[in-house]
Amino acid sequence: MGVYIFLIVMALVFVGPMVFTLLSSMKGNVEIFDNPFGLPEKFLISNYVTAWKEANMGTYFVNSILISVSTVAILIVVSSMVAYVLARFDFKLNKFLGIFFLLGMMIPMHTILVPVAYIIGSFNLKNNIFALILLYVAFSLPFSIFVLTSFMKGINASLEEAAIIDGAGYFQIYSRVMLPLTVPAISTVSIFNFLGAWNNVLFPLLFINNNKLKPISLGLLNFNGERGSEYGPLMAAIIITVFVPFVIYLLFQEKVESGLAAGAIKG
Amino acid sequence: MRKIKNKKDGTKILMFLIPALVIYILFMVIPMIGAVFFSASEWSGIKGTPIDFVGFKNYISVFQSSAFILSLKNMGRMVFFSVLFHTPIALLLAVAINAKFRGYRFFKAVFFVPTIFPLTAVGLLWYFIFMPNGSLNHLLSTIGLDSLATSWLINPGTAINTIIFVNIWAGIGYYMVILLAGLTTIPNEVYEAAAIDGASSFKKFFHVTIPMLKPIISMCILMDIIGTIKVFDLIFVMTEGGPNGLTNLPTTLMYYEAFRYDNYGVGSAIGVIILLIALVLTLGSKWIMRKKEA
Repeated sequence: MGVYIFLIVMALVFVGPMVFTLLSSMKGNVEIFDNPFGLPEKFLISNYVTAWKEANMGTYFVNSILISVSTVAILIVVSSMVAYVLARFDFKLNKFLGIFFLLGMMIPMHTILVPVAYIIGSFNLKNNIFALILLYVAFSLPFSIFVLTSFMKGINASLEEAAIIDGAGYFQIYSRVMLPLTVPAISTVSIFNFLGAWNNVLFPLLFINNNKLKPISLGLLNFNGERGSEYGPLMAAIIITVFVPFVIYLLFQEKVESGLAAGAIKG
Repeated sequence: MRKIKNKKDGTKILMFLIPALVIYILFMVIPMIGAVFFSASEWSGIKGTPIDFVGFKNYISVFQSSAFILSLKNMGRMVFFSVLFHTPIALLLAVAINAKFRGYRFFKAVFFVPTIFPLTAVGLLWYFIFMPNGSLNHLLSTIGLDSLATSWLINPGTAINTIIFVNIWAGIGYYMVILLAGLTTIPNEVYEAAAIDGASSFKKFFHVTIPMLKPIISMCILMDIIGTIKVFDLIFVMTEGGPNGLTNLPTTLMYYEAFRYDNYGVGSAIGVIILLIALVLTLGSKWIMRKKEA
């Protein structure tokens, strides 16, 4: 019995703020303060239109989709190639390479901010989305290589041997045999890093000052900084920002959770 | 495992490694070396101005600055309360949800979903609740507790604790999911055996669940410590380190030193210190865990 009371109290602490934000996103400024907890008198969908169009949330949203998808695409290609080599080839530097990539997991983003800012300045990379994506890829490589390598090690090698007898080269074996078998791990890594790129604000703070190129997390702060008293549209912007992670969770619940567990095991 | 026999094979293998190596070295390894270099230098951040080598000067001035010492204290406080609340609450929730009562999926989703939201959005969401005319103060006055209402994020007495609360809120689901995964690995027979011995559910929790989950609980605590050291977005969004720098962590202080006050050397020194703290705490807690197991 006590357990259920605890659960319900906790659930209120979690649902309350989220529902409050959702309801407020459809209210006018006056109503948010006069009637903060009730249903909106009239559901103001116009707040979403304001956020999406006038406050540029639509642009930020599309930018974030592009940035996160590109990050994941590049990451999966380059990290699975490394994982294939680490999982299947015996050579002197194999162990060293594994540790070399793994060590990156220890480095906090803040530690390398100043040198990254210096590099941005020296090579004119300000507002260069591609450089931002490569930075995300670099930070995601350690986890990705670690998960994919351990998954590939567990795949039975007999299929590959058959392919070798058929005269397949390493690249064919990698792309036609290994990659399809690794799809479960690849999807976990993809979801995990898509969310990572979607949620990150620190690197865009350094890279991007052009409003047309900002990703959504930074765009949200931008909106708050410029029009911080338009509460309804701001709440709508919060909902727009969390919408994609929320949908990803609904669609891939198991994958999201197993991705976290995999991320936990690395510690 | 295939042995690499000849040079031709070696070149082929190298082609697989090169793209990742190039990205990793350019955007991770070189910046890491650069971080150490900048932490021993003085630079204004303006392109073309000289970078002067100053040795340990930045580190000395960092440790002499009261702002940094305060940020360390805040970090310690935040780590302490996060460890105190995250894993224990997450464990209770996990055990309750693991009973798989009707609607347990809903509860699981409710606790988990904030952990995958951008912390900028989470911070802003709570900012509107905690602001002086925000909904929390409104709620307090509705139920007649006006006296408790305050400017949560502005009042020096409540600002840091308010942020700590939000950090706990935003993280519980993460540890809950990991502990839930751990709970499924405990075989049912163990509980059945305990039930035959007449153990109450209270006893089962303390004498079966907790001992069996010990490795995972330790791991959660370790991840919590490392994760809390890196908290940035919440403070950046909710207080910008204010009032008067009272809510800075080393991460936010580092950011403001470098990019607001153009002390790139000092900022980089703090960045390196953050790395060292994370390293020491990781190795330290692993060492303690190993010692306990032995």
